[in-house]
Amino acid sequence: MHVVKASDQSAASLLSDDNRARLESWLAAQAGASRVAVTEDGRLGGGAISLNLAVTLDVDGGPLAGRHACVLRAEGGGRISASIGKLREYVVLRAAFAAGVLAPEPLFACDDPAILGHDFYIMRRAEGLGAGHAVTRSEAAQPELARELGRQLGLLHRITPETEGLERLGEAPDCPAQETLAQYRRWFGDLGRRDPVIAWGLRWMEVNAPLPGAVVLCHRDFRTGNYLVKDGALTAILDWEFAGFSDPMEDLGWFCARSWRFRRPDREAGGIADRADFYAGYEETSGRRVDPARVAYWETAAYLRWAAIAVEQGLRHSSGDEPSLELALTGRMLPEIEMDMLRHLRSIGGMASGAVEKVA
Amino acid sequence: MRANPDARGLLQIAASTFRADVLPHVAPEARFAALMVANALEIAERELKGLDTAGHSMLGALALLYGEDADDALSGEDLRKRVEALQHRLCIEIAAGDFDHDGQEVLMDSLEAIVQARLGISNPKALGQQ
Repeated sequence: MHVVKASDQSAASLLSDDNRARLESWLAAQAGASRVAVTEDGRLGGGAISLNLAVTLDVDGGPLAGRHACVLRAEGGGRISASIGKLREYVVLRAAFAAGVLAPEPLFACDDPAILGHDFYIMRRAEGLGAGHAVTRSEAAQPELARELGRQLGLLHRITPETEGLERLGEAPDCPAQETLAQYRRWFGDLGRRDPVIAWGLRWMEVNAPLPGAVVLCHRDFRTGNYLVKDGALTAILDWEFAGFSDPMEDLGWFCARSWRFRRPDREAGGIADRADFYAGYEETSGRRVDPARVAYWETAAYLRWAAIAVEQGLRHSSGDEPSLELALTGRMLPEIEMDMLRHLRSIGGMASGAVEKVA
Repeated sequence: MRANPDARGLLQIAASTFRADVLPHVAPEARFAALMVANALEIAERELKGLDTAGHSMLGALALLYGEDADDALSGEDLRKRVEALQHRLCIEIAAGDFDHDGQEVLMDSLEAIVQARLGISNPKALGQQ
């Protein structure tokens, strides 16, 4: 999860000469090539959790012969609880790409620590603008973009836990709402007994937990800021590191949460358009109807999830594990995330909201 | 013994000087970090200046629920401890289901006032948004 794209951050070269030589010979073997040359093009955004390095591969021989603009994505400084590790991320990306989702094509994954010291994978590099403030700058609403994002999410949600190759992701939850709540309680720990807003959010989730329905592959960070746009059109959906099986409405709630509307809090679908545009695209491809009461449930869950992540990021700094001003400031975002959650709860009205069937 | 200017005074002038005289000349590759520095200095400044005020606002918000425990005379560490104790009590009651049926309006008002007090320090700009 990156709060802010620190694309202009200067960073030491990830690839020492030794690393590069090992990477090049490993890639040549993987690609069935006689030789692969790797050129570094600089570090990309999304650095809060993962290291994203723009690279160009010049491949001699084999089926991939030619020049390829790519991204090398490696485990970053510190994993946070919600992230799934680079190899599982690669598996998810492969499944999404195979299902026709506009995700960068994944090319190679490596779990041999002898190559770069940590797990990494390489995917094709997409072009476009990603930063949330830039994407939501447009004076006019972008209904077609929202619709297309809905279609893409619908395609992703056709992937079920039975899909071959997804065993690495672990068991699908029997009841996504209950399991999510249990996970949040673990994440928040003592804070749920010190911060009454968090306590109220958790209680609300408990009382309003919907009965389990469909369980599909969810992106779990599908939002403005995590896709690329070029000339108004979607070019790629990024940042798959939180993917997992859940209630499909979880991704819709996350996408529409106030936290990701940037300059346009009035445009409820990701700061770019109305919910109706996004929902319509979703229904075109997903084979299911959007359930607004469930989306509202998962939007509450979205604020709590983002709050838990922000708290954890702040602690990564405060504990001394990873001193970072960006992490420290993320920790200080808690009150605004909580305010967004309270506004959401006000807007849907009280404890027993909606018509969704409940567990409790 | 207190030095003059104190920590608060130093932070205040450092933050405003940084924003007025340094930030405009920062190279693009350092701008993101510089903005974060300005933001952090300003949060620290508001916290040093307004922590007790925020504490009293929070105590007032909790008084909506626990009138008998509010106390305007508290300050510093005593104030912090009182707010924490009341928040803890509220958390326990919420988790026990005390607000599942009744009292949600007052609870929501109280929670909003608590968050507003904290936002006044961490990000006052977010107070105005709807």
